[in-house]
Amino acid sequence: MALYPGMSATQAGPLNNGSSSQYQMSAPEKVAASASEPVSVDTTMEPSKIVVNGLNFHYGKYHALQDINIKIPEKKVTAFIGPSGCGKSTLLRTMNRIYELYPDQRASGEILLDGRNVLDRKQDLNLLRAKVGMVFQKPTPFPMSVFENVAFGVKLYERLSRVDMEERVEWALRKAALWDEVKDKLHQGGTRLSGGQQQRLCIARGIAVKPEVLLLDEPASALDPISTLKIEELINELKNDYTIVIVTHNMQQASRVSDYTAFMYLGELVEFDDTTTIFTTPANKQTEDYITGRYG
Amino acid sequence: MSTELTTDGSVPTTDTRSGSSGHLADKAFRGLTQFFALLVALSVLGVFVTLLVGAWPALEKYGFFNFLTTNDWNPVTDVYGAVAPIYGTLVTSLLALLIGVPVSFGIALFITELAPVWLKRPIGVAIELLAAVPSIIYGMWGLFVFAPWFSENVQPWMTDNLGGWPLIGSLFQGPPMGIGMFTAGLILAIMIIPFMAAVMRDVFETVPPVYKESAYGLGGTTWEVVWKVVLPYTKIGVVGGVMLGLGRALGETMAVTFVIGNSHNVSGSLFMPGNTISSTLANEFTEAAGEIYTSSLISLGLVLFLLTFIVLAIAKVMLIRLKAKEGKAS
Repeated sequence: MALYPGMSATQAGPLNNGSSSQYQMSAPEKVAASASEPVSVDTTMEPSKIVVNGLNFHYGKYHALQDINIKIPEKKVTAFIGPSGCGKSTLLRTMNRIYELYPDQRASGEILLDGRNVLDRKQDLNLLRAKVGMVFQKPTPFPMSVFENVAFGVKLYERLSRVDMEERVEWALRKAALWDEVKDKLHQGGTRLSGGQQQRLCIARGIAVKPEVLLLDEPASALDPISTLKIEELINELKNDYTIVIVTHNMQQASRVSDYTAFMYLGELVEFDDTTTIFTTPANKQTEDYITGRYG
Repeated sequence: MSTELTTDGSVPTTDTRSGSSGHLADKAFRGLTQFFALLVALSVLGVFVTLLVGAWPALEKYGFFNFLTTNDWNPVTDVYGAVAPIYGTLVTSLLALLIGVPVSFGIALFITELAPVWLKRPIGVAIELLAAVPSIIYGMWGLFVFAPWFSENVQPWMTDNLGGWPLIGSLFQGPPMGIGMFTAGLILAIMIIPFMAAVMRDVFETVPPVYKESAYGLGGTTWEVVWKVVLPYTKIGVVGGVMLGLGRALGETMAVTFVIGNSHNVSGSLFMPGNTISSTLANEFTEAAGEIYTSSLISLGLVLFLLTFIVLAIAKVMLIRLKAKEGKAS
């Protein structure tokens, strides 16, 4: 407990359960055991926003995530890397329970957001998704104007006056570094922006509801290098206010934007450490092979 | 692939099939398909010309505009005007849309967004079967089963409870006969629901899952996602589906003939019997004596032809305007 200065009682709560002992193991010990059994490495000295305990995930009969344990530090950028099909997007999609749209997908275990298990049946999904925003690989502007796109999520939760709504939309667009480019075309169709602008519009739409966590699922993989750079700058900017979890195929991107990196392979969390360590002195052979491009 | 794998390992340099014969087959095929396509256009033109020729004696006698605005249909005095059947056609079709569109929307919504997987297919198949039921079955069911039940249980209630309302109250007054324009509209609604529901379901399914995920990901409820994302995304297809239903309702003959009451009469009450263009034609063609009577019926057919044409044209214009608006605003 003393490892986590500044942690509130509710945040510390989950650590009191039976599995807490495994978090106290040192990293090297864990890595040594990694070849055969799932690993949980805790190197973060930060307060955790999300704590995943013993998470398993199934697509029908396929066991996609196997006993995942990870702590996502608050107001930091955490990147999930790994080869295609390793489960990194799946893990991301459990955090706002978006997987539940598909009836054959199941998750079991615990995902604690500020100490409360979001996988609990009683969890209000709309409230959860207001707290945990998500941006997808492909930009998904809705078929409405730029303004309405950003206001869309806000309208679901709050009744704002016209002036307040305008303020909120401008705030979100400024946050997403898009305001200057679209301030003259707020009432044009959101689908008429360029791909990079569309993606930043989606980020603006996500932050307009003032979430606490932003889940980014390969947010730049469909964009050109300049737009990618803008998105990365934006992520850097946003981590002052939000806890950000990003899935990426691009290892340079992970090393540029993230504070912590988790390497996943075949549905297991292989190694989790601060980004510099992962990319310079990874403890695990598989991680090293992956980041040096030997497979994946 | 196979041409590269010759036994001696060499790659053949010429393809024996290519050449003039293949080219000729291609040409013939193009000609054939072109002929079929033109046949459609020719048929439409042919129908129109035939109707016009057949309708000519009546139109010459009354004048087209006069024929459309005369509210009298009397074989005894040989005076024919199209107001009553046109009115009946429009009212029953409109009623069918008013009832059918929300119901189809709900069905499509349930199948695509809410139904558990095991229920999706059975309901989908049931809708397709409902679409395949011949219209005369609906007519018989409407006349022998639905109308008596309706007149005994629903109509008195509607007259008591809705008949006193301002504006729309007069629509629900009149004797509870069971048959009439309301029943016809209801039966029409049941008939066009499968078509509209099937089209709406198909277009709802074209929405990329990631759009729905983003809307749900913002915390939208099913209703909000459908109303604000799915529907705007698919509005063109939905309008198309509704127009398909309207087209069918306008032209439907047998079921309506059974339950509408077949009287040339324009009434403010939906419970009164009326007539549609197609039911008039079905009822009276066999007994039409005299050139003007027959010609007047053909004129009615011409009116129906034009009416459906106008509906289609309006639908096209609406779609074009929707598209233009999308490019500009949404």
